[in-house]
Amino acid sequence: MRMIHTVRPDGVIAVDDLLFVKGAPTTAGSRILEGFEPLFSAEAVERLEKAGYPVAGISAVGEFGLDLLGEFSYQGPTLEGTRLVGAAASLVADGSVEGALNVDLNGTPRRAAAVSGVVFIKPTYGTVSRYGIIPCACSGEQVGVTARDTATAAKLLSAISGHDEKDGTSLPAEHYDYSDAGEIKGLHVCVIRELLDAASEEMRDLAEQAVQELKAAGAAVDTVSFPLVSQAATAWQILMSAETCNNISRYDGVKFGHRAASYSNIDELYINSRTEGMNLLTKAVILYGSDVLSRDRYLNCYDRSLRVRRIVAEETAKLLKDYNLILTPPCSGRDYHEYPIAEAFDRVAEEGVFSAIPNLIGIPAIVVNGIQFMAASLQENTLLSAARAVKEGSAR
Amino acid sequence: MTIEALKDLQELNKLALTPAEEETVLGIFEQMERREKGLLSLNTEDTEVMVHVMPLSNILREDVRVQQFPLEDLLKSSPEHTEDSWQVPRLVK
Repeated sequence: MRMIHTVRPDGVIAVDDLLFVKGAPTTAGSRILEGFEPLFSAEAVERLEKAGYPVAGISAVGEFGLDLLGEFSYQGPTLEGTRLVGAAASLVADGSVEGALNVDLNGTPRRAAAVSGVVFIKPTYGTVSRYGIIPCACSGEQVGVTARDTATAAKLLSAISGHDEKDGTSLPAEHYDYSDAGEIKGLHVCVIRELLDAASEEMRDLAEQAVQELKAAGAAVDTVSFPLVSQAATAWQILMSAETCNNISRYDGVKFGHRAASYSNIDELYINSRTEGMNLLTKAVILYGSDVLSRDRYLNCYDRSLRVRRIVAEETAKLLKDYNLILTPPCSGRDYHEYPIAEAFDRVAEEGVFSAIPNLIGIPAIVVNGIQFMAASLQENTLLSAARAVKEGSAR
Repeated sequence: MTIEALKDLQELNKLALTPAEEETVLGIFEQMERREKGLLSLNTEDTEVMVHVMPLSNILREDVRVQQFPLEDLLKSSPEHTEDSWQVPRLVK
C-alpha cells in the first residue's frame, strides 16, 4: 500500500501518515489511531501548501515509523515484487509526486531513499517545525523531505524551514536558504570504516563510486575509524524507546482512535484497546522504554545514554573540524524482504549503526545514490553540494 | 528481565502480551542487555547528560489560548462520546 488516502488529485506532495493533514485520516500506520482526523495541518504541511505545493495524499508508514521500511504498517507493507520499499520514496521515484514530507525517527526515510534511488534530506534538528507530527522521540525525530533530485529537495526544504513559535524546540532563524549549493572542490570528506565493513558489498560499491565522483570533482577523501557508531545506535535505541513509551501512553481508546469492543471496566478498556490497537514491535518498544526508565535501570541505561549522546556529539564535532562531510552507507543493503514481526526490534536496532547519529545529536544528513552524507549543524548547503556532485557525476 | 518483571511492565503500560509474545519480548530484552554492555565500556563519569541536542534552557511556553476548536469537532475522533463528553465506563458504583 503506497498512498492510503487521496487529498487532491492534482496535488504534488505525499505526506507521511505521521504528519497531520487537516481533515485527512491520520493513523501513524496504527490501528490505535483508526478513524482519527486532525483538526489542523502540521506546520510543515501548511508551509508547503502556501509555497504552492498542494498535498496529493497520505503515504503509508510503519506503525509510528518504528520499523525499517513500513513493513508493519496497519495498512500493510509497500512491496515492489517481493522487495520492501518505503511508500513515499516509491511514489517519488516513479513520478507520482514531486516530493514527500517524512518524519525521520530512526532513519526510515533515509533507508527508503537508498532503496528507491531518490534523495532524502534530514535537516538540522530545530530548523523545521515538528508542530503537528505524531510524536515518538521528540528529542531526535525531525521532519525532512524526499525528492527525485537535490534541487527539488533544496526548494522543498527551504519552503518548510524557519522558526515556528508553536514548536518549543524551533531554532530562532526565520528562514533558511538552501539554494546555495556551491562547488565541492577543496572539501574534505571522511568515510567511516566501521560502517563500510558492516554494509553489504553493494553498499560498499556505491560508497566507492561516490568517493570516485567526489575526487573527480576536486574533494579530498580519507577513510577514518569512528568506533562510537555502535554505542550511538544503542544510546538512540534506549532514548527513542523511552520517549516513545511516554508519547504513546496517550493512546488509550478514549479520546480518539480504536476502542476495544469488549471491556467491563476502565482498566480493561485501556488494556484491551491498546493491546488490540498496537503491534508487537510497538509493544516491545513501549515495554523496553518503560524498563530503561525504571528505578533500577535508569542510571545505567537512560542517564548513561544521555551522557553517551554528549560524547558522540563531541567526538563527531572533532571529526567535523577536520572534515566538511562524513560519508557512510545509510543502511546495510538495499534488498529488504518481509520477515516475522518477532525479529523487528532486533533488526531495527542492528540497522541503527548506520542511521542513529543524526537522530541522536541532531546533525543534518542527506541520502543520494544510495549513500549518506552527514555534516555539522546548519551545513545543509554543503550536504546539498556534495549530493549534487555525486548525482551529476553518476549521470555522466 | 524476569517474566514477573515483564508482567509488571505490561500492567504499568496497560498492555497484555500472549505467552508467545512474552517469550519474544524477553529475548529482545536479552539482546538489548548485550548491546547495553557497549555503553558501559565508555567512561561517562565526568560527562554531563545531554538532554537536548541544542542549547535550550526552557522549552515551555506560556499557557496562552491561541486556537479553539468547536467541541463537536473535538469529539468527532472519539470512538464513543455523548453530546459534550468522551464516554468511558462508570468509575464509581
